[in-house]
Amino acid sequence: MHVRFIPVIIVAALAVATLPLSAHHGWAGNDQKEFELVGTVESGVSLAGPHATMKVRADGQVWDITLAPGARTEAAGLKEGVIPVGAQVTIHGHRNKDPKRFEIKTERVTWNGKTFNVYPDRS
Amino acid sequence: MADLLAWLEGSTLGHAMRSSGVWTYGIVNLTHILGVSSLFGAVLVLDLRLLGCWRDVPLASITRPTVPIATTGFIVAAASGICLISTNANEYVGNPFLLVKFPAIAVGLVNVAVLSRLTAWKARDTRALTAGEHRQLSVVGAVSLLSWLTAIGAGRLIGYW
Repeated sequence: MHVRFIPVIIVAALAVATLPLSAHHGWAGNDQKEFELVGTVESGVSLAGPHATMKVRADGQVWDITLAPGARTEAAGLKEGVIPVGAQVTIHGHRNKDPKRFEIKTERVTWNGKTFNVYPDRS
Repeated sequence: MADLLAWLEGSTLGHAMRSSGVWTYGIVNLTHILGVSSLFGAVLVLDLRLLGCWRDVPLASITRPTVPIATTGFIVAAASGICLISTNANEYVGNPFLLVKFPAIAVGLVNVAVLSRLTAWKARDTRALTAGEHRQLSVVGAVSLLSWLTAIGAGRLIGYW
């Protein structure tokens, strides 16, 4: 084996492996169009994990609401327990490109006249 | 698989991960990366030596630092990884990258067990190895590189599903 080529091959393999990573938790997997959903809170805001989440029921369908990362969601005032389960909310963001997945990457949540802007620089 | 993940999410560990502040996940994720990078960094050097790079450096001189770093890295990565997955374990049901990652880790660990039983490995401190033994070690090195690269690649992609 041509030993000195091994590092070159490995570096090339790693470089190729990083290519699709630019999509990570970004907006590329979501539709470009602005999307709005009105529904009731099925399970309240959780700040755990890589992104804060909540679930909203609308027309019998439960939607996964992906918010900003925990610290940023909390900084927008959207702490756990602020919006009670069963409350009506309006979710504004971008829905998943896959029509079979009921998921919205969320820019802002409106409840009871208050707007929580978790991605203020996007609105 | 789904049952195991559901149990993990409901475990004390899962509850602790979800209720200990907004930075917990990020910090544990950082720990996971440090574990994985220590493991892979050490394994990369060792495997390239097994494949025949730096023949003028005695194998024993390479294994002395790389084996403990790789072992420690693996333990840190495994412990932090269990914490990460327990946070929202049910979300990973049906994630295809999980089904690539864990078998790849299993192959990597079996490969370590095989290596530790090879005469060539045991004799590395005491005598020069034969050409046949060098070939054996290079096969182990190649399997190791492939399995850890696969595990890390699939692991990284879990979050994109």
